[in-house]
Amino acid sequence: MRGSLVRSRAAWLAALAAAVLAPLALQNPAHQNLLVLTGVNVILVASLDLLIGQSGLLSLGHAGFWGIGAYTSALLTLRAGVPFLLALLAAAATAAASGIFIGYPSLRLRGHYFVLVTFIFGIIITLLLTSLVAVTRGPMGLPGIPFATLPRPWGPPLTLNTFQGKTGYYYLVLAAVLLTLWLRACVVHSRMGRALVAIREDEDLGQTLGIHTHRYKVGVFALSTGLAGMAGSLYAHYTTFLAPEIFDFVASFDLFVMNLVGGAGTAAGPVLGPVLLTVVRDLLRAVHPVLAEILFGLFLIAAIAFLPAGLVGGWRRLVARRVSR
Amino acid sequence: MQFAVNGLFISAAYALVALGLTLIFGVLHIADFAQGALYMLGAYVSFYATHAPGLGYFASVPVAMGLTAALATLNGALVYRPLQRHGGALTFIAALGILLILQNLALWLFGGDFRLIASPFGDGKITVWGVVLTHHQAFVLGVTALLVAAVWFGLRHTKPGKALRAMAQQPEAARLVGIDSARLGLVTFALAGALAGAAGGLISPIRAFDPHIGAIVILKSFAIVIFGGMGSVPGAIVGALLVGMAETFTAAYLAAEFADLVAFALMIVILFARPQGLLGRVPA
Repeated sequence: MRGSLVRSRAAWLAALAAAVLAPLALQNPAHQNLLVLTGVNVILVASLDLLIGQSGLLSLGHAGFWGIGAYTSALLTLRAGVPFLLALLAAAATAAASGIFIGYPSLRLRGHYFVLVTFIFGIIITLLLTSLVAVTRGPMGLPGIPFATLPRPWGPPLTLNTFQGKTGYYYLVLAAVLLTLWLRACVVHSRMGRALVAIREDEDLGQTLGIHTHRYKVGVFALSTGLAGMAGSLYAHYTTFLAPEIFDFVASFDLFVMNLVGGAGTAAGPVLGPVLLTVVRDLLRAVHPVLAEILFGLFLIAAIAFLPAGLVGGWRRLVARRVSR
Repeated sequence: MQFAVNGLFISAAYALVALGLTLIFGVLHIADFAQGALYMLGAYVSFYATHAPGLGYFASVPVAMGLTAALATLNGALVYRPLQRHGGALTFIAALGILLILQNLALWLFGGDFRLIASPFGDGKITVWGVVLTHHQAFVLGVTALLVAAVWFGLRHTKPGKALRAMAQQPEAARLVGIDSARLGLVTFALAGALAGAAGGLISPIRAFDPHIGAIVILKSFAIVIFGGMGSVPGAIVGALLVGMAETFTAAYLAAEFADLVAFALMIVILFARPQGLLGRVPA
């Protein structure tokens, strides 16, 4: 057990080193673009896994909260001149508030109910973004979102112009990824994390033990949606262009798939899933755009047929087999 | 009143797809999003069969139904059955995989242009109590009513129908009395596939379609199924009627771009009031 702990710590350090060095090794802008988008996806999937893997709450509307964050941050900077960091915080806060608004009533009940409400809520967000043309410009999309600016103790603020170079922005996203993973680890190893596992395994038993299950569920949902909102802000100021269909139900499903393929409820799964699927999809697209989607569909079916517990689950099974031999 | 009739007509398409979805969900607990692709393929098969020599539109709909039923059975046998032991969330990913495959195959084979089947009825209209109905609309409503009634009757009064209901309610007991659940599962897929294919063939002379239409249709049908109560047949019909009406009336009195928004907002409001769905039972 101790050996495996040391080994897993070494693996995390190696992954961190790879993540820090990646943009230096990959100078091609297309590759760097992929790195940034993978980072955003890791935040989204790691926050989604707090619900699915940790608490057994299936959310099918995660992209909706991502979209709320993206549009909040974009509109605040574009229309009101709010500085980037403040807009980022506002994006996370707005998404978390929407999470509480939806979660408070819907998390009281069990079963499919929460899935349905998040699913329909995700659709409603896309439809709102599309039809409120006066605010969001609807299907025409929202162009010209200002680049992120970071205040510096010396000199003028640093502007991260992502058209000229993506390395700086990548490190900003990486910092957010680390913050997300750190928060996630804090929650998992806290009293709240144990309460959430209790809810996942047997909510009635948890309640009889005096756990305020509803309070914990709303809390973790707010945290998860808040992180998705932060990812939205990071996405908005990276691409500088938003359109409603980026955040539609297909995107929510993609995140869900990334979580399951990586391995729900594991520490490494929410990192591995997005990294693998973002890269595989991009590689396939480079071959042939339409054929790529067909192959990706086959890939998804194969992935769950051969790795039903995700990459991490498959790896564990492999290790267990070797040890028992 | 005129709007109500137009709404009825949109409801017909949703009702057929939602009926298949709710059957699959009720019997097999699979959220089969691939049904959307079958709707789309139904439209394409019908489109090409209409222009095939010696077939024509009326023969093209059964042809579409047959092909989509076969495809649905194939999905069930090759993809869903081997995966079913892994549980609901994973079959859902498989369903999305199939949807992606079929949608992009169609894009590849048929191209991305919007198409419209030429209706055999032309522009003929009938007027009943001051309400104008094109001949094709009347035909669609008639056939839909017939199909729904047939499914309803089949579930109530035929042996396989009763076995399906038994499987949905008490899977263990059904197995004990010798119901072949594997075979019946495939029958369910075939039935749902045929319904989705019929919907695609019936609606496409009035609504233009492209390879992506399936995703939109299945999204609404799925919402209707959860809204009506998962696994509830009358729930799917009533849900389809409500959503079709809400859409049509919003488009008529408010603005077309709010049609979907109002339909989904209505669903969430009803869900808060009745969590088990409109006609669903409270889970034990």
